[in-house]
Amino acid sequence: MKKLFTILLSLFFCCSLFVGCTPKDQKDVIQLKVWGSQDDQYMLGEMADSFKAAYPDKTYKITFGVVGEPDCYARLSEDPAAAADVFMFADDQIINMTNAGLLYEITRNVDNVKSANSAGSVTAATVDGKLYAYPCTADNTYFLYYNKNYVSDMQAQKMDDILAACQTAEKKFLMDLSNGWYNASFFLSAGCTIGIGENGKQVVDFNNEKGLKAAKAMEAVAQHSTFMTGDDTTIKTGLNSNTFGAVVSGSWNAEYFKEAWGDKMGVAKLPTITLDGQQVQLKSFGGTKLCGVNALTKYPADAMKLAEWLTNEQNQLKRFIDRGMGPSNINAANTDEVKSNPIISVISEQFKYAVPQNNVLGSFWTPAEAFGNALEQKDYGGKTLQQLLDEMVRQIMA
Amino acid sequence: MMIGSQTEQSSNFKLLNKIKVPFKIFAKGDWATRLSFLIMGFGCFVRKQFIKGLLYFLAQVLFVFLCVFFISKYLPDLGTLGTVPIKRVWDEVEQVYINIQVDNSMLILLYSIVSIFIIFFFCVLYINSLKAAYNAQINSENGKKNNSFFDDIKSLLDDKFHTTLLTLPSIGVILFTILPLIFMILIAFTNYDSDHLPPAKLFDWVGLANFKELLWGSAQISSTFGRVLLWTMIWAFFATFTNYFAGMFLAIIINKKGIKFKAFWRTMFVMTIAVPQFVTLLTIRNVFANIGLINTWLQKLNIIDRAIPFFEKGWLARIMIIIINMWVGIPYTLLIVSGILMNIPQSLYESAKIDGASPFKMFVKITFPYVFFVTAPYLLTQFVGNINNFNVIYYLTAGGPKSLNYFFAGETDLLITWLYSLTSDKSNYKTASVIGIMVFLICSVFSLIAYNLTSSTKREEDYQA
Repeated sequence: MKKLFTILLSLFFCCSLFVGCTPKDQKDVIQLKVWGSQDDQYMLGEMADSFKAAYPDKTYKITFGVVGEPDCYARLSEDPAAAADVFMFADDQIINMTNAGLLYEITRNVDNVKSANSAGSVTAATVDGKLYAYPCTADNTYFLYYNKNYVSDMQAQKMDDILAACQTAEKKFLMDLSNGWYNASFFLSAGCTIGIGENGKQVVDFNNEKGLKAAKAMEAVAQHSTFMTGDDTTIKTGLNSNTFGAVVSGSWNAEYFKEAWGDKMGVAKLPTITLDGQQVQLKSFGGTKLCGVNALTKYPADAMKLAEWLTNEQNQLKRFIDRGMGPSNINAANTDEVKSNPIISVISEQFKYAVPQNNVLGSFWTPAEAFGNALEQKDYGGKTLQQLLDEMVRQIMA
Repeated sequence: MMIGSQTEQSSNFKLLNKIKVPFKIFAKGDWATRLSFLIMGFGCFVRKQFIKGLLYFLAQVLFVFLCVFFISKYLPDLGTLGTVPIKRVWDEVEQVYINIQVDNSMLILLYSIVSIFIIFFFCVLYINSLKAAYNAQINSENGKKNNSFFDDIKSLLDDKFHTTLLTLPSIGVILFTILPLIFMILIAFTNYDSDHLPPAKLFDWVGLANFKELLWGSAQISSTFGRVLLWTMIWAFFATFTNYFAGMFLAIIINKKGIKFKAFWRTMFVMTIAVPQFVTLLTIRNVFANIGLINTWLQKLNIIDRAIPFFEKGWLARIMIIIINMWVGIPYTLLIVSGILMNIPQSLYESAKIDGASPFKMFVKITFPYVFFVTAPYLLTQFVGNINNFNVIYYLTAGGPKSLNYFFAGETDLLITWLYSLTSDKSNYKTASVIGIMVFLICSVFSLIAYNLTSSTKREEDYQA
């Protein structure tokens, strides 16, 4: 019977629609989902437990998902309604996120949050004068690791000396120039700027005279015989085979360097580079990790409470102890334990030459990577350095 | 007159008849049948088909319910895809803004498609209910007994068993294939990208603008499309034919008389199939990395000074990918061709030998035509599969090295991996959707041409032994 079949079919079809719509109210249980990186999962679990203990008047069910800070915006924008309520992300994504309306404006305890954290980290969490996230760490930058067997403390101050020392020792100098985060160093040091135009698009001037000088300095490094490129995987493998004399990297790899080099591990702010015959301090992007609340969360007040908890003084200190992350909280940063840590102190040294990355948009990274790759491979595709720069800037601003 | 059987007989006028059916029924029906136009299942109910009538009625109630609470919320907005994104209301107690979602283009689009499906199914159901009412009327006028509900169920397990069997797969196909497919295709005609991300912003219909942009409108995007398309074709050609011929020769060598340990050799090569493809690819990538096994050894042996950038230089990366793909793909051809080789009648070779044919001649005249005839469809699926071969590219280079000659793409990006990075890194769903449609068109054109050219389809009966 065709009729019966159609009846059954349509009934089944209609019923299946309702399954998705039925609200599952489980007697006032507040369900919150938190995204964090793989390495932080255990620590976040402990923080959530202490949160539940601190607010016993409500029943919380907190679940976790693995989404690293760099991927947060991409995963979040895929399906905001199904994404986490509270998530960690790097501050370069905040403008993209607020543009897309993915972040809840922080309205509870705003003054406390602002006064508790360092000014730079609060700026990084603020868009158009409104706070959109809780500062979580202030250590997201890169500096120089060097092996004292091959590079002396003095030599670590100058790029040319580092390269020469590595050459003598037959070791490599690694800097990931085919990555916009690192290669922007050269442009920023030369005095180029990155910002956001009135139309909300990225504006850069890396193709002006200063930019060309920076590109030439970068070219000189990239073509040096000891220069090597690669990501974190390369660093880990290279440390095992004792390949490096010096490496530009960040605090997240500190443990691997310590393990491989032991006492011989030296850390310093980035070296000076030769720019047009003069020594110029190499700048870096300096960022903070932020904790945001999903604009579509069902429990905004509770999600904010949790986000604030995850980033309060006590938990920023825990982050430092468990994972070696530098706190943005002023009190936490002023404890002796944090101050005496060599990695944290070199970060604060480098932060003096750091450019905030909260006005870098997503469109910056791919063209910058392509440019760096062209330099590394000495393959300009028949173009001059200036033409490469023009093309990069055109794509970034497109 | 049984209306159901009449429509089945004249299948040419099926659609026309279907439209006419309600009018006919209304003209010829009695009061109960006519009332069925308002209350579904009434006719059946009056003629003592209680459960059937009730089910029809319930379906009608459900549909009205859906119209009020679901369809009316989304379908009217399909033209504009929403106008007001999010409203904020200040909550003094909790000290937060409460975000109230008003319109969400994505949900409007998705649920409108669902609504259209529901309406379509309801129409079919409605006409069926009228037919059922009319048939019940005719039956009782002729003094025949109407089918009870249990008779209907019985027929579903007996002469209508095919409908019972096909119901579940059909629902699955509609829900998980057809609905998403229509949704994705429609996105190509909107401006759904990073500047128009719901829920904060809404997207809108833009007609064919995205197609124009990709094909000729924007110099950057269309030149990237051209380059990526060219490499996709080169890749698909080489990936398919290198694997095919290398696998075939390997199979022929192993199959040759006088080769010892045949089973051992076959097992050896087929072993690579047992290792998951992505494991193989990731391992090989590490082996050829800047600091990988090959480069380290070459440097230790003082053959090279600087690491060879296997995956960082465009042309080298392309060659590497094609070669590495052979490692992954040859065993499959080896396996298939080995089976075919054993089925070629030995008498062909013997008579060729008597005629004094050289081994090469025998290959060209006997082995290759035989193998090609059987494997042509396989070759075709391989070619189309390679156009969309995401794994090999993604795990080896992820589309890189990135180049300034491309718009957010790398030199080894295929259309499919470019599409992936456009969606996952750039949230540029509109362009990605257009590329998806293009890939579909390219694949279907190739499939149709190749399929019609291969002898497998032309002379199907020739090789049926």
